[in-house]
This record gives sequence, C-alpha cells and structure tokens, in this order.
Amino acid sequence: MRITQRAVTLTSLQGLNRNLEALGKLQNQLTSGRLINKPSDSPTGTNKAMQTRAEQAAVAQQGRNVTDAKSWLDQGSTSLLQMLDMTQRIRDLTVQGLNTGAASPESQKALATEIASLREGLLNMANTRVAGRPVFGGVTAGDKAYDPTGAYVGTTVTPGSTVGTVTRRVSDSELLRVDLTGPEAFGSGADSLFSVVGRIANDLENSPASLDDDLAALDVAMKTMQGAVADIGARGARLERVEEVQIERTLTLKAQLGAVESIDLPLTIMNLSMQETGYQAALAATAKVISPTLLDFLR
Amino acid sequence: MSTFSGLNAATTALWAQRRALDVTGQNISNVNTAGYSRQRADMQAIGGSAVPAFYSTSSGIGGGVNANDVIRIRDIFLEGRGHTEHANNTRLTEEAGALAQVETAFREPGEYGIQSLLADMWDGWGDVHNAPDTGAARAQVIQQMDTLVGGLHFASASLDAQWNQTRENLTVLAKDVNAAARTVADLNQAIQRATQLGVPANDLADQRDLLVMGLADQVGGTVRQGKDGMVDVVVGGMTLVAGTSASQLAVSGTVDSSGTGGDPVRLVTAVGGYTVGAGGTAGGQLTAMNAIFPKYQGELNTLAGGLATAMNALHAEGFDKLGNAGGAIFDSADGTPVTAANIRLAVTDPDRIAASRIAGGPNTDNSNADRIAQLRALTDGPDADYRKLVVTLGVEAAVANRTLSIQSVITTQVDAARESVAGVNIDEEMTNMLSFQHAYSAAARLVTSIDEMLDQLINRTGRVGL
Repeated sequence: MRITQRAVTLTSLQGLNRNLEALGKLQNQLTSGRLINKPSDSPTGTNKAMQTRAEQAAVAQQGRNVTDAKSWLDQGSTSLLQMLDMTQRIRDLTVQGLNTGAASPESQKALATEIASLREGLLNMANTRVAGRPVFGGVTAGDKAYDPTGAYVGTTVTPGSTVGTVTRRVSDSELLRVDLTGPEAFGSGADSLFSVVGRIANDLENSPASLDDDLAALDVAMKTMQGAVADIGARGARLERVEEVQIERTLTLKAQLGAVESIDLPLTIMNLSMQETGYQAALAATAKVISPTLLDFLR
Repeated sequence: MSTFSGLNAATTALWAQRRALDVTGQNISNVNTAGYSRQRADMQAIGGSAVPAFYSTSSGIGGGVNANDVIRIRDIFLEGRGHTEHANNTRLTEEAGALAQVETAFREPGEYGIQSLLADMWDGWGDVHNAPDTGAARAQVIQQMDTLVGGLHFASASLDAQWNQTRENLTVLAKDVNAAARTVADLNQAIQRATQLGVPANDLADQRDLLVMGLADQVGGTVRQGKDGMVDVVVGGMTLVAGTSASQLAVSGTVDSSGTGGDPVRLVTAVGGYTVGAGGTAGGQLTAMNAIFPKYQGELNTLAGGLATAMNALHAEGFDKLGNAGGAIFDSADGTPVTAANIRLAVTDPDRIAASRIAGGPNTDNSNADRIAQLRALTDGPDADYRKLVVTLGVEAAVANRTLSIQSVITTQVDAARESVAGVNIDEEMTNMLSFQHAYSAAARLVTSIDEMLDQLINRTGRVGL
C-alpha cells in the first residue's frame, strides 16, 4: 500500500492528540480533585452525587432542627423540675397549715402569703419563653401561656391529635413534638395547679376545713407534672438517639459523596504517570518515523 | 525509416525526462500544500507508423516518447467518502458542542447549580418550621425562593442566549457557503475552458476540490462529476452548484427560541424557499436549535411548572401569620402557565408565608412549613425531577461525545487514505528524480552515440587506403 509522509503525520497527530487528551483529562481530575466535572463524565455518578448532596443538605437541616428541639425540651424540663420543687414546698406549707390546733391565725396568714407568692413564682415559670415563645403556650401567637390571674391563654391540643403541637423535623420520617401545653403539664380548669394553689392560699385563711380536699387536688396536679417531666425526658432520650444516628449519617454521606465525586489520588497519579509514559513513547515513535527520508541516505 | 529518426527519438526522451523532472519538482514544492494532489507526467511511447504506404514503410520501432499530458492522481471514490465522513464529523462536533453548552448552563454536579438552590430553599422552609413566629426566618425563605427563581431565570436565559448565538452562526455560515458555491462555479468555468483548450487545469481543480471539501464540512455537500472536468455540488438532494452556475442558500424559520415547534429553523434556497436537508455544521446547528436546546428548555419549564404547582397546592392549604389563607407562592407575570423564564415569587411580604395549618386567627403552628420542606424528599418531587433531567442530559452528552470520538477516528482514517493516494511521498519523488535523471543521461548518451555512428558514416566511410 502506498503511504505518504502526510498520511503518517495525520495518523500520528491523531494518536498524539488522543494521548494528550487523556493526559489533560487526568490532569483536570487531579487539579480539581473531582472525578465528575460535568454530567457526561458519568451520568450515573452524577445522579448519585446529586442525590447524596440533597441528602446531606437535608441531614444538615435536621441537625439544626435537633439543636432547636433540644433547647425547647431542656427549657421545658428545667422549668417543670423547678416548678415541682416549688410545688413540693407549697405542699409542705399546706401540711403545716393543716395542723390547725397548733397554729395561730397570724401564722396561717403568713403561710397563705408565702403560698400566694410561690404561686406568682409558678406563674412566672409557666410563662418561660424559648426564643420569644412561651414553652407551655402551644401555638399561641401571644407571648404568655397564663395571664396574671392564672387562667390559661395559650392554645390547646386535643389528646391524641397532632394539630396545634410544636414539632421539629428530626429525621426524614420523624416529627418530634417538643412542647407541652399548659393544660397537659399542669391540669386544666379548677384542677389546674394554679387554681389549686390559689384555693389553698385562700382556704388557709378562710376555710381550713377544705384544706384536706385541696391537698388531694394538689397531689393530683403534682402527679400530672411528674408525668409531664417523664414525657419530656423520654422525648429527650429519643432526640439523643436521633442525634447519634444523624452524626453517623453525616459521616456516611460524606464518605459516599467522596467515593462518587472525588478522585482516588494514588490511582489517578498512577494512571497519570502511565499515561505520561505512553505519551512519551508515542512522541518518541513519531519523532523516529517522521524525520527520516530517502534524502538522508542519498548523496 | 529515416537516418535521423534515432536522434529524434533521443530528443523526445530528453524533453520528456526533463518534463517529468519538472513535475517532480512541482510535487516536492507542494508536499505540504493543503488540497494538493500529486501529479505525474503521463509518458506514452510514440509508435511507428502502422499503416504501410507506398515508399513509406515502418520498421515497427517507435519514434520516442510523448509526455504532453500531466495528470492529477486522485481517487474520486475516496474523495466522496471523505465528503460524507467530513460532513458527519462536523455535524457530530456541533451537536456534542451544543450539549456541552447545555451542561454548562446547568452547572451540575456542584455547589452552584439549581440543585443546591433547591436545597437552600428547603432548608429555608425548615427554618420557618423551627421558628414560624420570627420575621427573620420568614424573610430568609423569601430570599431563598427569590434566589431559586433567579437561578431558573439564569439557566433559561443562558439556553436562550446559546440558541440565539447558534442561529446567528448559521446565518453567517449560509453567507459563507454562498460565497464558496459562487467560487466553485467560477472555478468550474475556468476548468471547463482549460479542458476544452487541452491545457492541464490540475491546480485549479485542486483549489476547487478544497472548496468542495469545505462545503462538505459546512453543509454536507456531495459531488456529482460533470463533463469537461466540472463538478456539481449537491446538498440534501438540492443542487447547490450546477456546472458554472451556483444557487444561494438562506436561513428561514423562527427567530425566537420558543417558536421551534411550529416554525423550525431551516436552511432554504434563496429562490423559491425550498427546504434543504443540510448536513455538516449546518445540520448540527439545526439539530441543536430545533431539538437539543428546545428539549432542555422544555424540561426546565416542566421543572419550574411542577415546582410552582406542588408548592402552590401546599401553600394554599396553609394560613399565614395573621391567620389568612395562603394563596399561590409562585406565579407568572402575565398569568400564563409558569415556565422557567416567567416564574415569579407571588409572595413578597414575610408575614404572608403560610406556615400554619390552623385557621382562625394568628397562631404559631408550623406544620405547613414542614409539609413544604418535605417536598425535598418526594421521589417524584422537584428535586427528583431535576436529577432526572441532569442525568438524561449527562447520558445524551456522553453518547454524543463517544460517537464523535469514533467518528473523528474514521474521518482521520479516510483523510489518511485520501492522502495516501493523492499526497506526495518524498521517498517516491526522490526515486523518481533519480530515475528521470538517469534516463536523461542515457538519452544524452544516445545522442552522442548516434552522433558517433553518423560521424563514422559521413567522415570515415569510403576512405579505404587513404
């Protein structure tokens, strides 16, 4: 077959170009540190990378949600525990007041005054706020759960329903409730903690005979509060588990994205040096083939 | 047979070898000239008179050599193959280029594409879910949505800009093709005249064939051989150059990227407006404008429309900070269906974000914000749709790139084959040069030897005993 110098040049040039292109691609991968720079580099890899990125963003958001949920639960349980202490003190004072024979009306009055001021403290605690919102107020738009008279002004939740609860998205599938409404934590109506304590303060002075009933009602209210503390504690424990899973998931996703999108450094460097050797061989071969002509041998 | 016929034969030989040497010189000079076809002095032995006549007999020995014709060596079938492969190559290059442009418009995978804008927006809704009462959370989600709208506009606009640029390129290309066709026709005429005069027109033919190859690249022209060395150039069944006359092409069809459905961009004849089925660069550009760009523009519009529909439906079911029912959150400026180009944020007041699902007055319920934020996880939601779009694009671009790399190998091989036939081989020219040189010396020696022979006859004959 007839072959000409230009034909050889054309084919060698094509081979050299392909070598150089492969070299350029490897170099691009090394300098960018990324295996996939555009969708056509690896369509399936792109899909996986985009999916992983979307999940990463979701998990990061859930991480923020968990932090926020924690502050709600912590605030709720701290307030409840302090209020339980105060209620216990009220109970002690009430028991003290029950000993009607030993106490003078003045001391009963002093007890009543102390209980009334403790009630103020309880109301203040019940209006505790997280980022401007009352923890025990449900989804009220106002900034208080209880008004100064001790009447509940927040929103209520029908038992068993999720409507009107404050929730945080802690995982793809889980919405965690982070609040307790006042009625759920302190009882409602005449049985609510604040009504009962108000009654005790009043009865100490005016109707010591009803104090027995009041004490029973206070015990019921305390039981409700203890139940609420346990509820919040259980949710806190769940939140901690979720958080651990999240941390693990964050790491897994990072590793996954790396596996899809980032280069394997030793492998790429190895490929690069192999490609480089190939390129040099091609260059040497081209130089050998192109330079000689018959002219070199004629004289 | 004449006494001097030997001298005459030697003269023709001297002349023929010198001519062949000249041609060799021309070949060597043009070893690197694009489009040059090697030439050969076509030598033919001059036969003796084969028709005996009275007083005229022939010894049967010829009268030397004739080297009047210089022929161009070129394989027209290989050239035809070259036209086809060149046209395929440029068409595929153009298509792969268009897909690469679409890829840059989407900027995936990475941190700057629509995917990350979507993720930011869902995060924004997540923050509203956490703090539906704060103006900051509500204001930032509006910013995030606005940025997403901007991202969609940008992607749509850059596809549009690429479309417009391609159409402009096609218009320029049509002008170029018209000029080249005109020149081919002119060269055809010159070649016809030269051929009729019997003068070799090899170099004109080379020039013309180079232009014809350019036409193959640009519009996928193929060649039909005509008489007197002329060629016709045919584009998609329409004769662009017929002998000495050339017709003109023009670009017709929509000037707006959205109009390719009813009025696709076409290459037509300037007279009559008949559609020309162009290949080559023009063919690739037409595919890009009528199929590739509209396809991804359409996908982007579907994405924007789907996003608006899904979010509007959920948003309308919620209630804003003041307890009013939330309306649509995305709409289009003119009320037409939402596309990537006209999508607009319908809610600009942070208080109008419907985060709550509890009607009847202000409250801080957050469940609607969560429902909207959870659109991110839907398997048929906007995120998934967008991923599908990018993967489709990636597959299409990867296939186009692979096809192009195969085609470019084929094209180079055909070019090398053409070059093998028509190109100049320096070794061959050297060998030829030596053989012509030797032949010239031999012919010169022949003259000397006949001269000596005649000298013998004229000067030394009949001088016995002198």
